[in-house]
Amino acid sequence: MSLAHRNDADRRRQEAKRARGRTFVAITFVPVVLALALVATLFADVITDTVSWQIVEPAYTTESWSFTEGFAFFSTWENVVEKELVARGEDPAVVLDDPEERRKFRLRNRVELLWQLDGAPLRYVVTSSRDDTVADYGFFEGLRQLDAIRAEAGEGQEVRLNPWLDAAFLTKNASRTPVMAGLGNALIGTLWVIGLVIVFSLPIGVGAAIYLEEYAPDNAVTRFIELNIRNLAGVPSVVYGILGLYAFVRVFEFGPTVLSAALTLSLLILPVVIIAAREAIKAVPPSLRQASYGLGATKWQTVSQVVLPNAITGITTGMILAVARAIGETAPLLLVGAAAFIPRAPEGPLSTYTVVPIQIYSWVAENDVEFAHVASAGILVLLAVLLVLYGAAFYLRRRFERSW
Amino acid sequence: MSQASKRAAEAIGIQRSVRRNLGDQAIRVVLFLAASVSVVTTFAVIYALSSETIAFFADPAVTFREFFTGTRWTPLFPENQQAFGIAPLVVGTLNVTFVALLVGLPLGLGSAIYLSEFATARVRRTIMPILEVLAGIPTVVLGYFALFFVTSLLREVIPGLNLFNPTSAGLVMGFMILPTVSSISIDSMQAVPRAIREGAYALGASRYEVVLKVVVPAALSGIVASFILAMSRAIGETMIVALAAGQKPTFTFDLRETIATMTSFIVQAATGDQPMGSIGSRALYAVGATLFVITLALNLASGQIVRRFAERYE
Repeated sequence: MSLAHRNDADRRRQEAKRARGRTFVAITFVPVVLALALVATLFADVITDTVSWQIVEPAYTTESWSFTEGFAFFSTWENVVEKELVARGEDPAVVLDDPEERRKFRLRNRVELLWQLDGAPLRYVVTSSRDDTVADYGFFEGLRQLDAIRAEAGEGQEVRLNPWLDAAFLTKNASRTPVMAGLGNALIGTLWVIGLVIVFSLPIGVGAAIYLEEYAPDNAVTRFIELNIRNLAGVPSVVYGILGLYAFVRVFEFGPTVLSAALTLSLLILPVVIIAAREAIKAVPPSLRQASYGLGATKWQTVSQVVLPNAITGITTGMILAVARAIGETAPLLLVGAAAFIPRAPEGPLSTYTVVPIQIYSWVAENDVEFAHVASAGILVLLAVLLVLYGAAFYLRRRFERSW
Repeated sequence: MSQASKRAAEAIGIQRSVRRNLGDQAIRVVLFLAASVSVVTTFAVIYALSSETIAFFADPAVTFREFFTGTRWTPLFPENQQAFGIAPLVVGTLNVTFVALLVGLPLGLGSAIYLSEFATARVRRTIMPILEVLAGIPTVVLGYFALFFVTSLLREVIPGLNLFNPTSAGLVMGFMILPTVSSISIDSMQAVPRAIREGAYALGASRYEVVLKVVVPAALSGIVASFILAMSRAIGETMIVALAAGQKPTFTFDLRETIATMTSFIVQAATGDQPMGSIGSRALYAVGATLFVITLALNLASGQIVRRFAERYE
């Protein structure tokens, strides 16, 4: 074989090798793109799901009576229903004899005493208390077929773009009616639960980390504690729910309350807090401790006045991430008795409660077009809170990262 | 200074240091108690699970044989229609986990190789936080995404796909475990020393040969450990399956069928009103115990692999 020939073969082999290399890099790059695409799709899906095109029948005034007429007539609620339904040409018995129908009618209609400037000043009116949804279309679907939807809307109905996430969404409470549902009590419940989680898990977590890093002798007991922490970090969250159900709800008889939820979530995030706090404490260089001892400080003085102040950023970062996890936890709280419908916002540790992710779960589980929009509005609020927390954690980590 | 006042000063000093020592001792005890909370937690979990599980098996309606070999699971049914074979739940869990691992392991490993070996520092700094966000998305949100987005997409492609199915749930769960796989794998690949890579380069290896034939084999213990940990997380994941895979225990390997997993049964039993002490509520603990044992075994195995097979570089 001639030299030129060999060079040629070499070059071809090298070229093939380089091509294989490029293919390999491309193959490993695909998963990264897919992961980013999934995150982007998820956010886009959630955001577009919070608006929908709807054909609605607007709230309307159906009847109106003078004050004296109304006063005499409205002494019983049945009269209102009967008169209203007869006016609509429907059979009053259908509503009056069925408790469920009565409840629905009450939700949909209200009797109001109106002060009018023209005509007789005081009048009773019956209004349907909310707009009635006839049909619901997703954001993009609606954009594509807007004309068809407009044509579909009947007499007196209108087509509108409904934003499910507005300021009122944050104060409205759980409801069987999608447009009336909101996060109100759930937000207050989450604040209560998370507040208590911080109160429980911060001192215990940091205390445990200080013990393991600064005090613990290297013996079997210490190794056993460390083994426990590692294993607890891998226990599925639903198992913590079972523990909470057994220990806090039943044995300690706290019941399905804020306190049971907070204790359960505290145990759940404790391994995360301990591991993060240990890392932060470990990062404080021994020379600082030795300088402190050299000045005659005791162990605790050294820990509390030298180690902890220098580890505080790392501990805070770890705590923020742990709290972010606790905020989104759903499964364990389903076991320790978070209820989707609670009449009042919690007023203390022993109140019944609901939290944001539980509301989202119950809305998704409804498996209904409109409740899906409500769920996505709730999810957007939850994700916004979590993104703020993650942002804060990343900022702290970058801003205060220092090398010794 | 007189002899007496010197002695007095010394005594005060000793007193002070004794008090200081006592204070330090007390603090030490308090910190030890904080550290032992995790031990108490472990024992509480084991006690809660085992006491109710023993009560479950003590019930004359339940036999070990049926629990491990039966193929029907209906403990929440009325009394004369109950069956206690856990197999449908285990198989359901396996279906979802299989899809999740099929998606999550290659994607996790691939992205780990790219981020650890090929990406520039800037790309890594941008992408890693996004992966952390992915890992931090609450699973109830992923369940919503699986049910409303992925399922409706897949139903146009896969004929006969049920509304609730392990395919969508597993697919989304694959992305949930991706950050677990990639972050642990990245750590173990980064731990492979520079000298070994450079030795391979000196032998004429190209960059991808170094990655494929040197770095990945050297980091294999960490990668395998990350796989096992990811599997344990997939088995224990609850909200995605409760929302998107269904709550109907079915003994089937058809990935289009509605199923139930161990975790989704726990949710179902807990959210229905099972009176305490009823067979339905005890079944919840029995399934919880099974889940706990499986995930604990996987976690311990993962830890063992890291310790036993990790390459040590001096």
